[in-house]
Amino acid sequence: MSAVSDPEILANSAPTARSRLADLSLSQLVIWGLILFLCLSPFALIIAVSFGEKIEGASWEWGFSLVNYQRVFVGANWPEEVTFLYLQNLYYSLYYAVFAAVIAVLLAFPFTYLMTGLSRRAQSAWLVFILSSLSLSEVFIVMGWDVLLSNRSGLPMVFKETGLTAWLKEVGWFDTLREWGLANPRNVKFKTSVFATVLTMSYLVWPYAVILLYPPLSRMDRSMIEAAQTMGAGPWTVMRTVILPSVRLPLFGATLLLFVFLLGVYVAVSVFAEPAKQTMAVSVYSAVRGATLNAPFGAAQAVILLITASVFLVLGQWMSRRASA
Amino acid sequence: MNGLSLKGIYKDFGSARAVENVHLDFAEGELTALLGPSGCGKTTLLRMIAGLETPTGGSLHLGSRDITALAAHKRRFGMVFQNFALFPHLSVRENVVYSLVISGTSKSDAIATGERLLDLVQLQGYGDRRVGQLSGGQRQRVAIARALAQEPEVFLLDEPMSALDAKLREDMQVELRLLQQRLGITTIVVTHDQREAMTMADKIVVMSRGKVEQVGAPQDIYHRPENAFVADFIGKANFYDGVVENGKLRVMDTLLETNSPASFINGSDVRIACRPEVPSLGRKDIAGSQLNATVTFVRDVGPARDIHLKTDIGPMVVEYARGEEQQDFQVGQDTIVTLPLDGLHVFPEPRQDAV
Repeated sequence: MSAVSDPEILANSAPTARSRLADLSLSQLVIWGLILFLCLSPFALIIAVSFGEKIEGASWEWGFSLVNYQRVFVGANWPEEVTFLYLQNLYYSLYYAVFAAVIAVLLAFPFTYLMTGLSRRAQSAWLVFILSSLSLSEVFIVMGWDVLLSNRSGLPMVFKETGLTAWLKEVGWFDTLREWGLANPRNVKFKTSVFATVLTMSYLVWPYAVILLYPPLSRMDRSMIEAAQTMGAGPWTVMRTVILPSVRLPLFGATLLLFVFLLGVYVAVSVFAEPAKQTMAVSVYSAVRGATLNAPFGAAQAVILLITASVFLVLGQWMSRRASA
Repeated sequence: MNGLSLKGIYKDFGSARAVENVHLDFAEGELTALLGPSGCGKTTLLRMIAGLETPTGGSLHLGSRDITALAAHKRRFGMVFQNFALFPHLSVRENVVYSLVISGTSKSDAIATGERLLDLVQLQGYGDRRVGQLSGGQRQRVAIARALAQEPEVFLLDEPMSALDAKLREDMQVELRLLQQRLGITTIVVTHDQREAMTMADKIVVMSRGKVEQVGAPQDIYHRPENAFVADFIGKANFYDGVVENGKLRVMDTLLETNSPASFINGSDVRIACRPEVPSLGRKDIAGSQLNATVTFVRDVGPARDIHLKTDIGPMVVEYARGEEQQDFQVGQDTIVTLPLDGLHVFPEPRQDAV
């Protein structure tokens, strides 16, 4: 008889589990209950609200209706009319978040790598500086970029006053910028554009990228780089064959984390994205707090956004597990 | 001639001088050990040879070529690092053929060379394993094979045995020496273990505080140390402070006879070293200085016994090998210890800062 099916052992194991539960003191149970409540209740509430129904001209009421989800996927007038407006919002959420996360990590990687080669003192100074920049809220950062990119007082004016705009027109690159939506007939313009949105979002998460990449890069065994050098590898070969493969998982992890974080960015998108290219986060806000006051529809969109983020996180986890295996 | 020469090499880190005016020649095919305590500059010297540190002054020459300013990746001296520095994202075979792959060697040639090198270091069949699946000794073999793949003119090893346990370390010392002799490659090993240096090296460079203290064959260094530091660092020695007096050495109230101090003027303060295997115990038929001694402790280490004595000139340890005329020594026993005429090494009073 195998040990697992031995009735005596099975009989003994049940009370052990029960006694473990009994071992938890009342205070521990309260703490666990509180943690579960604080973590799960907001999600549970949003999911519950997403099935509610909007009362025209008033608020909403609890219910079990799938109409909000239907509206997200195929529009409110399905089956007579099919619109993908909200799926398009989701698409732009993903689009901005992917580009901004990748650009932030691409720019943070060389910076962090060079930083880990500095003296301890210089590294600490940089880290303090970067950490302190995290205290700036998204609103402050967007305001800064708003001024910097505005048509009347920002970079476009600098372009114009320094003659850069005229030069761009002369060499023919101005037309290309117009094709990309980065210029009007008179001057370059950055508001509103995908460029400005992605740029600001990248800037927003760049310090996080540095902080996420700093531990793996500073822990990396520098003697591996030296070993590659003694075997004939120049700086680029070392980067390609030793450094990047050694930190590929942290690079991937950082990109994924920033991507998920950026899915929820609101201020940067609402200021810099064109009206037709808004994201789901903006749409959620306008449903919940904006003119329509349709909390169940906003909650349904939030659930979809949440599921999308979870899918990417699970996929990322699976891919990194495969890569490390 | 592809020997390596260092001419007046020195290295400063800020205001601290790590390596001081080193002149050394490494003959082709010879194994040289850079030996010294931690922080003596031996690793910095090896790194300058590899091209991983730039000397503050002086020059390096390979044959007639000045390689002082040549970058490490152009110098291509094979190097084994203290922690082996294997690439965890590559298999054993990929690690070994790394230098061949990045230099554009064809895949079939690289694989063939990889297999030959894995054979050489007795790791046949391990090519597909990950580095994380290997033991310490196997990792060291991979590191050696990897460094040899590019057929370097100079082979450098930085404390290659320090990550191995004691038994494996001794086996690998012999194995590495045999491999080096078979390949006839100019090799420089950094170590702080004098047994390791004595086992492997044709020539030992003893270093202390950034300076070369003595260069010579292992037996020369052991039997003819040029200063108190070398006598102390290589092997064991009993040390006494004394004064030269009419061709003899006065230690406390005892005069010792010796062949050594001919070059010292009368009244010079000297440091006297005596290897523990040199004195004879309980025998009066040997020419030399005879001292009264009392046994204070007996340490039996198997093949030999260390007899700790209290003598007229101070405490002394005598190594009493088995196989000699057997005598039993008990704590508290009185005996006679004889210091042979040629058994004392006499040095000028050492620097106050000597280790």
